[in-house]
Amino acid sequence: MLDIQNLTKTYGKHTALSDVTLSAHDGEVFGLLGPNGAGKTTLLRLLATLLTPTSGTATVAGHDVQRDPEAVRRVVGVVNGGMGLPARLTGREVLRSFAGFYGMSRSQTDTRIAELDARLELGRTLDVRAGEYSTGMRQKVVIARAVIHDPAVLILDEASSGLDIFARRTLLDFVAATRAPGRLTVYSTHVMSEAEEVCDRMAILHEGKLVTVDTLGGILSRTGERNLERAFFALLRGTPKGEETYAV
Amino acid sequence: MPSKRNSEALRPDIVWRVAVRDLLATLRDRRTLLGTVLIPLLLIPVFTLGLPQLLGKFVGGQQQERQKVGVVGTLPATLRAALQRDEKAPDGSVTRAGVTLVAVTDPRAAVADGNVEAALRAPAALPTRAGNGTGTLEVYAKLTSLRAQTGAYGKVKDTVDAYNRTLTLERLTALGLNADTLTPIQIKPVDASPPQQQRSGQLAFLIPLLMLNFILTGAMATALDATAGEKERGTLESLLVSPVRRGEVVAGKLLATTLTALTSACFSIIGFLASGFVGGLLQRGQSASSAELSQAFGGQLSLGFGAAVALIGAAISAALLISAILIALSIYARSYKEAQTYVTPLSLAIVIPAVLLQFSDFLSTGPALYAIPLFGSMLAILDTVRGTVTAPNVLIAIAANLLGAFVLALVARRSFGREEVIFRN
Repeated sequence: MLDIQNLTKTYGKHTALSDVTLSAHDGEVFGLLGPNGAGKTTLLRLLATLLTPTSGTATVAGHDVQRDPEAVRRVVGVVNGGMGLPARLTGREVLRSFAGFYGMSRSQTDTRIAELDARLELGRTLDVRAGEYSTGMRQKVVIARAVIHDPAVLILDEASSGLDIFARRTLLDFVAATRAPGRLTVYSTHVMSEAEEVCDRMAILHEGKLVTVDTLGGILSRTGERNLERAFFALLRGTPKGEETYAV
Repeated sequence: MPSKRNSEALRPDIVWRVAVRDLLATLRDRRTLLGTVLIPLLLIPVFTLGLPQLLGKFVGGQQQERQKVGVVGTLPATLRAALQRDEKAPDGSVTRAGVTLVAVTDPRAAVADGNVEAALRAPAALPTRAGNGTGTLEVYAKLTSLRAQTGAYGKVKDTVDAYNRTLTLERLTALGLNADTLTPIQIKPVDASPPQQQRSGQLAFLIPLLMLNFILTGAMATALDATAGEKERGTLESLLVSPVRRGEVVAGKLLATTLTALTSACFSIIGFLASGFVGGLLQRGQSASSAELSQAFGGQLSLGFGAAVALIGAAISAALLISAILIALSIYARSYKEAQTYVTPLSLAIVIPAVLLQFSDFLSTGPALYAIPLFGSMLAILDTVRGTVTAPNVLIAIAANLLGAFVLALVARRSFGREEVIFRN
């Protein structure tokens, strides 16, 4: 479902992502972990075709991000913590306008909005202008917008940042529920407890390099730590620059 | 793999959806609506109708008003009588009131203190018949004041001129000569400019300035919100990860911006047409001198069908160009505020050439000037207002604007695809 080979992205002299190779499969929630500046957002933007790789390749649901970016954009949905909504449009108007971009008919759109309303408990949020939303309400509509076309690949980048405990719970439950055959969810976070809860496998990035890709159990047993946060630090301590990764 | 051509083609329904999204956001902003609809409707009548009417009323009112004029010493009785006499129409109504003469001791102080509007001082006795030497009449007034020029000072000057002429005529008559002796050749000015140009008045150059400024104001709110505003809110990224092509994003935003700009331009045209109509009605109730004055300043503006079409063509192309400039510039900004600083100088690019239009009579307006984007449309709009517009010139101005808009749209399209622009922070 996701195949990344030797992907590198540089900005002038700065290397944001260096020679990353990994793959993720359908039916899984794949975590992307790392501190700020690790290269998570760069990697996700490359997958979402917002950035162009300096070298290497990536395919998303069989589509090459460089050769067929439009096909990639048809099969992905993207949520990031900084995404907003047009303040003077209601949630329903936002969802309808995006459904139109994906070629959905009005009846398909209304049916899908009703499904998402039930799953994300949108309620009256749908008919209120986005300028009046709380952070949690806004993020629910942002998620609904990202999945309005029922994408095969859902990319979430620090999607829980700024959310209160209720909104965060709704988000994590939603992410867990995306685990299904033919689907892949890529969940980027620096909150280890979230990754422990929802991710089947996870990649750890540090300073633009891949440190490891493994299941939670695999990482814990390899490092001998009792939780992911401790394992994370153990892995970072054990991988000075230039050292080989634990890649699986 | 899809062909390059297919992946770049614009899909009209998607372009429209992008535009509707931006238009909805604009239409729901009260401040933008105010700037787009109400301000042109109110300001244009104020400039094209209210201002000339007001000037007409002020100047005309001076004619009806009886000003106080101070006098030091003695004036010839005939001149005194002429100064104080009202001029009347055949129906007995006063067309120009005389002045009230009052004795003062210090003419300069009397005027400066505002006790009188002008003061007269004859250092020596003034002649009462021509041929007996000359005399000097000092007239004290605030000479830079339009009120003095059109009021007390003007009346004194006109009356003394008439007095001189009367004395000269009396002398000529005594010598057996008639009045034509002084003016063997008389000049008869005939205004050869088209009737519409005669009506357009001295403030006609303001019309392109106002119209393009309203286009800019109307376009600015949408363009900035749809580019830098979207970046700042984090909504642009969501649009760019959808299957909407970059060209469609630019075309949709350009369409929304141009439509808002044109709405503003439409209301400014409605303002002009309403001003012309109401101006005609108002002048019926004005005195002749007031009507003449307000017309001279542009109080009676009217457009025929052809002129209206030319005006609309020039306005649409200018709106498209201004929208393209705004979008191409503001996509570079990190925030709405930063975008405002980028586009503010654009208003100077409109104001300075528009003010230069006052001197357009000195320009030889060949096709080359009409081919300057934006300035060409200003000239075309001014020609339209003056009734001197020609189809080739309007078409050149429109083509220049469209070409400029196309090039800038390509620049904007490129910027929307550049990660260093989209993620500039």
